[in-house]
Amino acid sequence: MARSWSSSNASPALHDEGMRRVISKILIANRGEIAVRILRACRSLALPAVVAYSEADRDSLAVRLADEAVCIGPADARRSYLSAPAVISAAIVTGCDAIHPGYGFLSEDQGFAEVVRAHGLTFIGPSPEVLERFASKEASRRLLASVGLPTIPGSDGLLRDDEHALQEAERIGYPVLVKPSAGGGGKGMRMARSPRELESALTICRSEARAAFGDDSLYLEKWLDQNRHVEVQVAVDRYGHGVHFGERDCSVQRRHQKVIEEAPTPALTPAARADLCERASRAVVAAGYENVGTLEFLVDAEGNFYFIEINCRIQVEHPVTEAITGIDLLTTQIRIAAGEPLGFSQADVVPAGHAIEFRINAEDADDDFRPQAGRVERLQVPGGPGIRWDSHLFAGYEVPPYYDSLLGKLIVWGADRGESIARARVALDELVIEGLVTNIPIHRALLTNAAFLEGRMTTNLLDRIGGSAVLAAARRQ
Amino acid sequence: MSDQRRGDHSRIEQLAETLLPELSARLAASGLGEIEVREDGWKIRIRRPAAGPAATPARTTTGTRKGADRVERAGHDHAPDDVPAPAPAAEAHRIGARSPAVGIFQAGPELRSGARVRQGDRLASVDVLGVPQEVTAPEDGIVVSSLVESGEGVEYGQELVILERVTGLAR
Repeated sequence: MARSWSSSNASPALHDEGMRRVISKILIANRGEIAVRILRACRSLALPAVVAYSEADRDSLAVRLADEAVCIGPADARRSYLSAPAVISAAIVTGCDAIHPGYGFLSEDQGFAEVVRAHGLTFIGPSPEVLERFASKEASRRLLASVGLPTIPGSDGLLRDDEHALQEAERIGYPVLVKPSAGGGGKGMRMARSPRELESALTICRSEARAAFGDDSLYLEKWLDQNRHVEVQVAVDRYGHGVHFGERDCSVQRRHQKVIEEAPTPALTPAARADLCERASRAVVAAGYENVGTLEFLVDAEGNFYFIEINCRIQVEHPVTEAITGIDLLTTQIRIAAGEPLGFSQADVVPAGHAIEFRINAEDADDDFRPQAGRVERLQVPGGPGIRWDSHLFAGYEVPPYYDSLLGKLIVWGADRGESIARARVALDELVIEGLVTNIPIHRALLTNAAFLEGRMTTNLLDRIGGSAVLAAARRQ
Repeated sequence: MSDQRRGDHSRIEQLAETLLPELSARLAASGLGEIEVREDGWKIRIRRPAAGPAATPARTTTGTRKGADRVERAGHDHAPDDVPAPAPAAEAHRIGARSPAVGIFQAGPELRSGARVRQGDRLASVDVLGVPQEVTAPEDGIVVSSLVESGEGVEYGQELVILERVTGLAR
């Protein structure tokens, strides 16, 4: 592997509006498929990049593809991908002037963003001030409600104590959802149907939130059954120009983890979709957001939408939006971080066709989706019109047991939903990953599920029927 | 034990302390298979276990620095292409002290080629955003060379200092 650790002054760079050189070399502080995706974005901008990796990822695809790579710590993420000193030190040692955090890990850590800036480096994401403003879900909800977004009926602020929680639940009406203010990705939430269930949920949620986030503040939301998860992708530059890139429907979930995402959503009419996206875009600019971001909404059976939270990072499912808009969200994100103006307006964003993303995970649907680790003995990647495969896999790759189970993302585009589903069937049949158990069968099974095919899926669909039942139903067909 | 033998033991001990570390370092740096020195009727011969023309130094030296106590920076974990891999038996005597973090390397005062060090002794440090992290000797041994210069960037786990394991010496 070539490793020259001297920064070249002749290399291209991104400049801000004052023509100050801001980004000339990027440290990629993440792993897996997103590290590869960021590397590709850097290369298409002709920017040199350095892949920061843990010992467990020494033989990863990102490291193999990189011109430069630097080992930042052991397999334990707390001492590598989650260690702010290790990541920043790696950027300094390798002569980088910007850090791309990807998703997860340090991507929404306001303290990290602040230290990055204190070292004269650029954090590719929102500024620390913006991250702080949106750090608490409860505060974000309040802020975006104040600029015109509807929110789910919920507690008035954070819960002070059990008595306050019981009063608020009574006012909102059961069932209610207990949510940690500092949480994310559906972690640490619990539903309660009665005061008795609420009391026990509060105790569990508090201790889980304290352990997971170091912050045990909770709030309540009304539990909406049979709802959809619809999110709006936005980008706002430093000068207050904001656009949306349409929405994504992420209703196919398992225990609050997204499994399939698609755009546009089959749940709303074109007029309702336009209304949702425009309101989200206006609100996020009014709230002072910056960089790429996603506003998540719950859509109920009547088509009412409620703002839930904002994700201040690039998301796993961003390729769905790239597929329908033709816009590279990663390079857009890097340019915004460098201080470049957006350079296009809402009228330039013209979504076309329909795209679906299937998250391919190393997990066993027949064994409660237990994560799998092991060697990829054989890999066969699908192709053809509208097919995109974002992954860090290669034949012989050893999937380490330390991180999440995402192996890759299959993104399928078609002129309409029917065509993208037809192409997805072909692609999922072509996709072969031998050596470890994956959730490919569950995706194939979902493509025979009536609720999915008719676009009627709700966030509790998969949990209600169960993975094994979905597989069994597909086998009977 | 006779006085004569006690004297011999003391002399052996003295030679081991003074001469052996230096010889061992030279052997490692020279690429020779064997070195013999005579002094006061005593003869010391040190030999690579896989002695012979195939024996190679653990890392190459430039040969240009007079009395240099460091060898050139030989890259990171991976030896440069022009340096043959050390013979397995020689490798067995070679111990690498690795970097505890990603940061800037700073050699410690004890980091001299030929210095005898004990397991846990501080050899150098790696500066992580102003906080030094110690590079320690993984085993007892003799410092052969440092692979990096002070002020250079190093990564986690990178081999920084080569020690020669001390075996078969009278102690």
